[in-house]
Amino acid sequence: MKIIDVISTANSNLLRNKSRFILTILAVFIGAFTIIMTTGINTGVNGYIDKQMASVGGEGYLEIMPASTMENLGGGGLDIMGDGDVKEYSSEKAATEIEFFTQKDIDKIREIAGVESAKAYQMTSAEYIYSVTGEAKKFEIQIGEMPSDSLNVDMAAGRMVDLNNGKAEIAITDKFIEPLGFKDAENAVNKEVKLAVKNQMTGQTTEVGATISGVMNPNVVGFGRAWINDAAGNELHDIATAGLPDEIKNQSYFAVAQLTDDYLTDEKVTEVKDKLKDMGYSAMTIEDEIGMMKSFFDAVTMVLTIFGGIALIAASIGIVNTLFMAVQERTREIGLMKAMGLGKGKIRLMFSLEAVALGFWGVVLGVVLAFVAKEVANHLAAETFLKALPGFVLVKFDIITLIVICLIVMAIAFLAGTLPARRASKLDPIEALRYE
Amino acid sequence: MADIVISAKGIHKTYGKRSTSYEALRGIDFDVEKGESVAIIGKSGSGKSTLMHLLALLDKSTKGVIKINGTDATKLKSRQLNKIRCLKFGFVFQQFFMNPRDSVLNNVMLPLKIAGVRKSQRKRRAMKALKIVELDDKAKNKANDLSGGQKQRVCIARALVNSPSVIFADEPTGNLDSATGKKIEDLLIKLNEAGITLIVVTHDEDLARRCSRQIHIKDGRIEK
Repeated sequence: MKIIDVISTANSNLLRNKSRFILTILAVFIGAFTIIMTTGINTGVNGYIDKQMASVGGEGYLEIMPASTMENLGGGGLDIMGDGDVKEYSSEKAATEIEFFTQKDIDKIREIAGVESAKAYQMTSAEYIYSVTGEAKKFEIQIGEMPSDSLNVDMAAGRMVDLNNGKAEIAITDKFIEPLGFKDAENAVNKEVKLAVKNQMTGQTTEVGATISGVMNPNVVGFGRAWINDAAGNELHDIATAGLPDEIKNQSYFAVAQLTDDYLTDEKVTEVKDKLKDMGYSAMTIEDEIGMMKSFFDAVTMVLTIFGGIALIAASIGIVNTLFMAVQERTREIGLMKAMGLGKGKIRLMFSLEAVALGFWGVVLGVVLAFVAKEVANHLAAETFLKALPGFVLVKFDIITLIVICLIVMAIAFLAGTLPARRASKLDPIEALRYE
Repeated sequence: MADIVISAKGIHKTYGKRSTSYEALRGIDFDVEKGESVAIIGKSGSGKSTLMHLLALLDKSTKGVIKINGTDATKLKSRQLNKIRCLKFGFVFQQFFMNPRDSVLNNVMLPLKIAGVRKSQRKRRAMKALKIVELDDKAKNKANDLSGGQKQRVCIARALVNSPSVIFADEPTGNLDSATGKKIEDLLIKLNEAGITLIVVTHDEDLARRCSRQIHIKDGRIEK
């Protein structure tokens, strides 16, 4: 029998029991569809992060944390849930564990070769913001000190805050234009706003003036935060910590550093990071942070992909079952074909191909419906939760990934088909013809 | 001396293991000449079907040699055995064994498909075979829609579609009433007269009588 005939026979055999065929394909489809969609979301999200980060810049910008803090954030694992072992206290160890930065620490970081500047990063928060020129409605706002001027942020109007300006400045996101009573982004630039800050001891609220330096387009850099410059940051910090002991006032949980221009290559950055590590710090570049964000999304989509994989395994058991039934039903026919001289290999191939065809049609259905689902999901997402992030396409398909998924599904189906195919090929023609 | 198509020497066939073994054939010596028609007759359990399976290379004997056109079949690989069955033999069974949902034409074309004949030739040859059994007008019909006699004629067409030198028929009239059975007999004898060697396993004395030679099997031996 020619291969083309084996293929066409296998394919037409599938249609003999249509409902069984469709149900088996449906099972394959569920697994394949899940995997295609989750990898599609992964591609979409990572693609957006890449695109955003490509425009962020931040070359030579380092965020520095005490290594112990870093451990508690990521490396600690279940410690957060109280699962850690009870450790004996050691004064020596505690002394080496830096938990916050003092001016001395910052000075030490500044001495590292390649570090152009370093500063302790002050956590600042504001109670509310309101526009001096518009109606005096108060709005809650998330703010942060702009850590470095090497970061590029897409501006709708005006410019980013000037870190060296002695006057307090703020860059707001475009969402605040209307609430603060401005006509448009241009209109907001150079307008005065008031930020309110609460003293940590007395709880008393004080208002501080700042000038809007510019309006930012939606972006992922600050997760919707408004950025202020050092002058504004210091002012807010002083008010918030007034009356507190100096040790607590100057506590800072992380520091930022900018490397000199000749220290921007990967090796040089690693060199500086290693030095910081020896000093008990953990440093991250923007790239490292992207990596962390990506690995978070990777982990989420990985879990979903595993679910898809489990569905596929269940589907492959369905394939085994379907084909075992087919072998049973076609016992006499197989016997006849063997009597007529069809070789074992061809019989095995025929059933294996039937399995592959089940996988193939399942995955084709998965791809087709995934494209439909993609259009619907992207449309819905763009209208709702991604409205603020233009250019963010939630689901994106990558042709190579799709082909790989198709091949994997077909390979799984093929493996599922080996058992029934073996049984069919081993049938004794005389026994098979006698089979009632 | 005429050409010997199939020759069997000292054939033994034992089923099962030692303690429960059963000897179906106990030493069969027998030749089939080219163009002969041989009827293998015997009661059920006599071993006649086993003998036919061995001659048709569907089964392997426990002892003895079967030669096909002078070649020792016991020494051939299964691929070569398949090739002989595919190209030289045709089979007709009591229970027809057709794919009932498929068309008559497709059923007849099956051996050609197995033999790897080109698609364009398959149809032509199958139609020729159907014409011989006078069912060419039913080619498009579903196999299931035919009567028993018609089904058996389709099976004969299927058996001769690859122009075999030998046709094996296992109780070809066993499932048919005597009138339709007679028609099948006529057809088989006609094919034999056209030069195809015929080996029939049968209970049907009428069919057996019309064969050129009758071999009676009893308890695994040929009755003289």
